[in-house]
Amino acid sequence: MNEALILAAVFAILLFAGVPIAFAIGLSALAGLIVSLDVTSASTVIAQRMATGLDSFALLAIPFFILSGQMMNRGGIARRLIDLAKVVVGRLPGGLAYVNVLANMLFGSISGSAVASAAAIGGFMGPLMRREGYDRDYSAAVNISSATTGLLIPPSNVMVVYSLASGGVSIAALFIAGYLPGLLLGLALMAVAGVIAKRRGYAGGLRVGANEAVRIFFASIPSLLLIGIVMGGIILGWFTPTEASAIAVAYTFLLAVVVYREIKWSELPRLFTDAAATTAIVLLLVGTSMGMSWVMSSANIPQTISEALLTPTQNKILLFLLINLLLLVVGTFMDMTPAVLIFTPIFLPVVMKFGMDPIHFGVVLIFNLCIGLCTPPVGSILFVGCGVAETTIARVWRHLLPFFITMLVVLGIVTYWPAVSLALPRALGF
Amino acid sequence: MKSLRPALDRLLAFTIGLLLAVMVGNVLWQVFTRFALSRPSSFTEEAARFLMIWVGLLGAAYAAGQKAHLAFDLLTTRFEGARKRMSELFIHTTILFFALAVLVGGGGRLVWIQLSLGQQSAALQLKLGYVYLALPVAGVFIALYSVITLLELIRRQPGPAQNLTDLNT
Repeated sequence: MNEALILAAVFAILLFAGVPIAFAIGLSALAGLIVSLDVTSASTVIAQRMATGLDSFALLAIPFFILSGQMMNRGGIARRLIDLAKVVVGRLPGGLAYVNVLANMLFGSISGSAVASAAAIGGFMGPLMRREGYDRDYSAAVNISSATTGLLIPPSNVMVVYSLASGGVSIAALFIAGYLPGLLLGLALMAVAGVIAKRRGYAGGLRVGANEAVRIFFASIPSLLLIGIVMGGIILGWFTPTEASAIAVAYTFLLAVVVYREIKWSELPRLFTDAAATTAIVLLLVGTSMGMSWVMSSANIPQTISEALLTPTQNKILLFLLINLLLLVVGTFMDMTPAVLIFTPIFLPVVMKFGMDPIHFGVVLIFNLCIGLCTPPVGSILFVGCGVAETTIARVWRHLLPFFITMLVVLGIVTYWPAVSLALPRALGF
Repeated sequence: MKSLRPALDRLLAFTIGLLLAVMVGNVLWQVFTRFALSRPSSFTEEAARFLMIWVGLLGAAYAAGQKAHLAFDLLTTRFEGARKRMSELFIHTTILFFALAVLVGGGGRLVWIQLSLGQQSAALQLKLGYVYLALPVAGVFIALYSVITLLELIRRQPGPAQNLTDLNT
């Protein structure tokens, strides 16, 4: 128990002092180990856990999806998807709000990053919506909340991280499990965005001529084909998620650099370095978290916490509510990747005791933290979404409220109705 | 000292970019051999995992130099003047300690143990000690960056600004 207290205290002090989270995790693990080991052995154990934690073929999907996401973002693929979304839902009243949500869902279904989606889609849609008389802050709120669908709709980098933190839940199963919750969230956000747009009398009827519609549809096929190749290949078992992600890199490279020529060859070294650095930030977190979760389990911390959680209630419904509330609070002030790495080993054993499937919990965990990504004080989608819309958190906040309520309602459905997450992977034999 | 930071930046940026490109080619080769030659290559998966360890750790050093590692900075961004300097001195001393104790010390000992046991990888017949060498090497780079940053703080020279976004999400 001493280990647990020391670990938690050191982590809290370093975290609040502003030490980068990966280092705070590694040092708190070291402090916890020093209780029972000498310093040399303790450091060697942490170093060894870090190395073995990174030694995983599944993790390679992260740099590859980041790389292909960056190329999509800059390489004209986002714009073609927006054009497609305009044809599909643009004619409805308040149409541009629907276009924004659908474009984020489409972008999310070929890239693993919601931040990239918020930047790419918001960058195109914001000026367009303002020109049509949509309020700047309302548009930003639509873009910010709907970007989160990309983390539920596969491929999704954070699901790869969860798979690792949970000790090997199938990435393919998690990917497939994310589809229905992601679609459900997207549709719910569209409904609310539509009601608000209608009440404010925003113009609809973005009419696209038949010839133009056909042209746009054909222009978007190469981008849509990527969904088929990546997810189709994974679902049919042709290749592993890692292999699929490498194919996504090759394919987006062909489209963005060779065919559309929107990325210059001279920009490539920078793209590779940036993707490697972004990955490394995740990997250092993964490595040190593996050290910490090893120390935590050897000090029986997950058991202690699960007993503490089970003391107030043995009721499944209340327990899930309690865990959701805790995760929502965590999500407001912690980035998603560290939160998944730290809280998966703590909460997963508890919910599994109550018969929750680890795939289902993965979706619930990510959904909770998605909401946190749109809330201050710390929310990367909120920051990026406000940045591209050239507005401030204080002004967007009020417009985000109805979307938060929508997200919470959908979260409730996803939490208490396991079939929403599990029906598809079960049907496909996972 | 002034030219050391950009030199480290360039060296690491080039290395991790190149290693990532090799990783992509390596995994594509794996898919190709499996589908086209229907005789899967035996070494690609192992090579990819080992490259990943090096990219991850050298990249972590590069990110440390860019001050890009995710941190909870709500309290510390409010600091100004002397308090801000004290807080940054504390943060970078802590990082320096981690780099020296865990990565250089613990990682170095791990390399030494593995090399003296002579363990080899299954497919590539590579000594595992060389794979784990990424830990102390990255540790040295992170330590260098911390020392540079600490010196910049003491001499009140500006370093790179903090730059935090969880681009993985």
